[in-house]
Amino acid sequence: MYDAQPMSRPMVVSPERAGSRPLVQVLHDWIVTVDHKKLGVMYFSYGILFLVIGGVEASIMRAQLAVANNHLVSPETFNRLFTMHGTTMIFFAAMPIVFGFANYLMPLMIGARDMAFPRLNAWSFWMSALGGIILYFSFIGGSGLYGAGTAPDVGWFAYAPLTSPAFSVGHSTDYWIIGILVSGFGSIGTALNVLTTILCMRCPGMKLYRMPLFAWMNTVMAVLVLVAIGPLTAAQIMLLIDRYLGGHFFDTQAGGSAVIWMHFFWIFGHPEVYILVLPAFAIVSEVIPVFSRKPIFGYSIMVAATVSIGFISLGVWAHHMFTVGMTSYANAFFVASTAAIAVPTGIKIFNWLGTMWGGKIRYSVAMMFCVGFLCQFLIAGLTGIMLSAAPFDWQLGNSYFVVAHFHYVILGGIVMAVFAGVYYWFPKVTGKMLSETLGKWHFWLFVIGFHLTFDFMHIPGLLGMPRRIYTYDASRGWEIWNLIVSIGVIFQVLGILFWVVNLIITFYKGKKTGNDPWDAWTLEWSTTSPPPDYNFATIPVVRSRRPLWDSKHPEDPDWKYE
Amino acid sequence: MAATTMAVPQSEMPLSAHMRGKVGMWCLIAAESAIFSIFVVAYLYYAGKSLSGPTPAQVLEVPIFTSICLFSSSLTILVAEKALHIGNIKRFGAFWLLTIVLGVIFLLGTAREWHGLIYEKGLTISTNLFGTTFYSLVGLHAFHVIVGATGLTIIMIFTALGHVRQEHSERIGVFAMYWHFVDAIWVVVLSVVYFITR
Amino acid sequence: MGGGAVGGVFHYALKKQIPRGPKSVRVMRNGTYAAQLRLCPPRNQFMNNSTQPEPNPERKSIEMPAPTAWPFAMAMGTSLTFAGLLTNATVSVLGAILTIFGAVGWFREVLPHEHHEAIPVGPEEPAAVVPPREVMRMEVAQQVQRAWLPIRIYPISAGVKGGLAGGVAMAILAMIYGVAMYHSVWYPVNLLAGTLYAPSSTPTMEAMMHFRMDWFLFALAMHITMCLLVGLLYGAMLPLLPTRPILLGGIIGPLLWTGLLYHILGFVNPLLDQRINWWWFAVSQVGFGMVAGFVVARQTKVLTAENMPLAMRAGIEAPGLMHERGDEDKKQ
Repeated sequence: MYDAQPMSRPMVVSPERAGSRPLVQVLHDWIVTVDHKKLGVMYFSYGILFLVIGGVEASIMRAQLAVANNHLVSPETFNRLFTMHGTTMIFFAAMPIVFGFANYLMPLMIGARDMAFPRLNAWSFWMSALGGIILYFSFIGGSGLYGAGTAPDVGWFAYAPLTSPAFSVGHSTDYWIIGILVSGFGSIGTALNVLTTILCMRCPGMKLYRMPLFAWMNTVMAVLVLVAIGPLTAAQIMLLIDRYLGGHFFDTQAGGSAVIWMHFFWIFGHPEVYILVLPAFAIVSEVIPVFSRKPIFGYSIMVAATVSIGFISLGVWAHHMFTVGMTSYANAFFVASTAAIAVPTGIKIFNWLGTMWGGKIRYSVAMMFCVGFLCQFLIAGLTGIMLSAAPFDWQLGNSYFVVAHFHYVILGGIVMAVFAGVYYWFPKVTGKMLSETLGKWHFWLFVIGFHLTFDFMHIPGLLGMPRRIYTYDASRGWEIWNLIVSIGVIFQVLGILFWVVNLIITFYKGKKTGNDPWDAWTLEWSTTSPPPDYNFATIPVVRSRRPLWDSKHPEDPDWKYE
Repeated sequence: MAATTMAVPQSEMPLSAHMRGKVGMWCLIAAESAIFSIFVVAYLYYAGKSLSGPTPAQVLEVPIFTSICLFSSSLTILVAEKALHIGNIKRFGAFWLLTIVLGVIFLLGTAREWHGLIYEKGLTISTNLFGTTFYSLVGLHAFHVIVGATGLTIIMIFTALGHVRQEHSERIGVFAMYWHFVDAIWVVVLSVVYFITR
Repeated sequence: MGGGAVGGVFHYALKKQIPRGPKSVRVMRNGTYAAQLRLCPPRNQFMNNSTQPEPNPERKSIEMPAPTAWPFAMAMGTSLTFAGLLTNATVSVLGAILTIFGAVGWFREVLPHEHHEAIPVGPEEPAAVVPPREVMRMEVAQQVQRAWLPIRIYPISAGVKGGLAGGVAMAILAMIYGVAMYHSVWYPVNLLAGTLYAPSSTPTMEAMMHFRMDWFLFALAMHITMCLLVGLLYGAMLPLLPTRPILLGGIIGPLLWTGLLYHILGFVNPLLDQRINWWWFAVSQVGFGMVAGFVVARQTKVLTAENMPLAMRAGIEAPGLMHERGDEDKKQ
């Protein structure tokens, strides 16, 4: 037993910090930092950089596919574009962004001053960042077939015979392997750090069941990273052995198996989806209660659903392989497990709706993105259940229907949640409010573009258009749909432009805001915006899931009822 | 916000921050186990699928002595940890050194085995599937033993220079966990490679 | 290899570290000197802080892990080691050297003591720009300050009663339909019986017009069972529909009824689908729902049990079940 202050008093940063300093000094500060907040911002900015690069690649592909018999880019370039687009978006855009959120917010939310291993945190970030640079160095450095630079062109899941030395001459595939391998080590470091931080660095009174859902969902995310990145790393080491030392892991001529690469890749690949979507759930679970002015509905059920999603997601990987041909038992198992994962996910959607139900909803831009997330993620889940039925998947596997489905998950779900998170926490990170007007432009343009692109993308899939084709005949009846899909991209790009302009304008000329502009309840809002290096001058002590509610309403605190 | 102080019951305290080394190591072990399990699965899956010889039954002999050395190093490191915990530095140093010696004997045994396999029995990593899976699984484990032995040696040098004291026992305990893990993995690798599929 | 060097470094660091504590002037991250620093305990302030809040809230500085470039150097080294596989072995060698240097440097950062820098604590924030909003308190009940809403709900029995009453209305509507279209009250009864109870052959139109005891009893049992089931479901959903039971009943009733019946009809007796006039069917369902809603509206609401502790809801009668939290409050 000891005495402690119930809440930290808000502090502001010392004024000298705001003074202008030479650029070299600033850069030096960023490179040597071990502060979880700076690293979080770096993770995020780095993710956004790659998001833009991956977006440009996608836009070129859509321009190529907009009309039939198009030859805007060469077929070889097209292969590189879709490979780099997928790899970039998953490993170097989405993962850094979710890690950035976890890094920045987790210690603040659980009342810690930093991560458990601050230096390891810096190392992890730089590994991830340098992995991306290695991958993109392939454009100029890969000694390809003609001695010129070549980017990887084997698809983001690099199926086996295509990656063997016989079919992938030169180093382009090696760039793919090494880039992801290096960033994978960084991811494992971050996951280890997040998990240890949660287990060991919580402030007094922050029991596990009092943690914000954000912390819970990122815990499960970290566990999934720990157990899922390993298989990918192992499979990539095997591929390296095949390519460099003449091994036969995936060499069918010597008795090896191409299918086992698929298994290994998807043992990583499917949990990866949940690694990305759980942090999105985490953001939504924080934003919706604050803008509905109600505590989250069914906290313990949400935690249970999160944990069960974590478990089930480790047993669904082969639903990516129905078309490969498996035994009927394997098919039945993976159909059942895939359908089963819809249950906890559905519970979450009901709980978010339950939180909004009867609440006093404020439609700020962050909340609008959350509502968009709910609608779009629901549709993504529904097409997911359709594809989980093996016979349906036999018909539509590897078609544009699948492409539309997982873009619905990633863009319609994860990216929308990330936008919500940016609008929600930007005042905390910079002390300035993003413009709501520009934000609404961003929202509506992006949502319209998203639906133009991805709603209509289902149709050519149903009409039989396979993914990854370079171009198509006019007689197929796919033209009009592809044109609409490509037009939607223009709206999305415009929306993103509004967002970037909003970020820049706000950063330089934004309206100053207080510590707690949304009247929120979690600990990060109790400190200054931006938080000082030490986060909390006094380590807070919490007694309920909404510590700030308790301190704002001492006459009716939450802890009496939990 | 009220500035009153209040008591926090001990039961409401989270795991303390000194535990973070241990928790972090457990996380690392989980991640490493995932990597190893994929190699083990690949080994089991490809067992007996080689299109040409040599086969495991023809060339592999159970490394009984070196395995005993590696397993007993887990016990000696435990004794060393206990000694450090009660502040007996001399005993700690002796058993720590013994651990390193046992680990090095294991590595030498592996090196001898590989030398024989490559130069006498003609099995390389590219000979057949067995060679590919054998060298990668055993090699991955050996790599971990090398990393562990290097760490052990660095700590040994500090001990010899007199910098290791009783208060470091927690950190050294965390490192010892890694060594235990390396030994435990060998149980799996040994049984899979030399017993189940031979 | 570099073990000796590491040892030397270690020794050096140890010597430099010992006099750290009493130094009160230190270079801050922003390059200014903070002379106002209080003395900080020499070791691991950061770790101690997180396990137990510092006893002195007026402290002027907080120790945080010092910035360091070694993790960056080591990450760079590791990446270059791997990049050598893609470019040239010399790159790998360079990377390996950098990795070792990085590791040694990192080692020096954390051993024997973690490097920290003192961050001065800033002045207090004047006041939050957005004041905490006023919260209007709803007087929900005498005993409970917070409650599951709605406080008063219709009991499940209300739904069951409504279901039974609606069943009567539905039967009457169906019979009117029979008389109007086929001049026989028994036609809908026989039709209903036919859903499950199909005699050996498909009955003729003539047979459908006449009363048959077994068919009648079967239809009656089915109708009552369905009414009870739908009523039960309706009753369970009632707390979700706190207002306008008649209007909502007119929508919810048909939805439930169709949901239950459609399943049975679809695969048990597809022949029947052809015989049913779906418009009349819809009308009788809406009739069912509205009557059910009307009956429900006439029931008295009861206090929801959700606000009571589990023990009370389980029927245990003991003093003090409701006021435990309040007592704890007084102790503070």
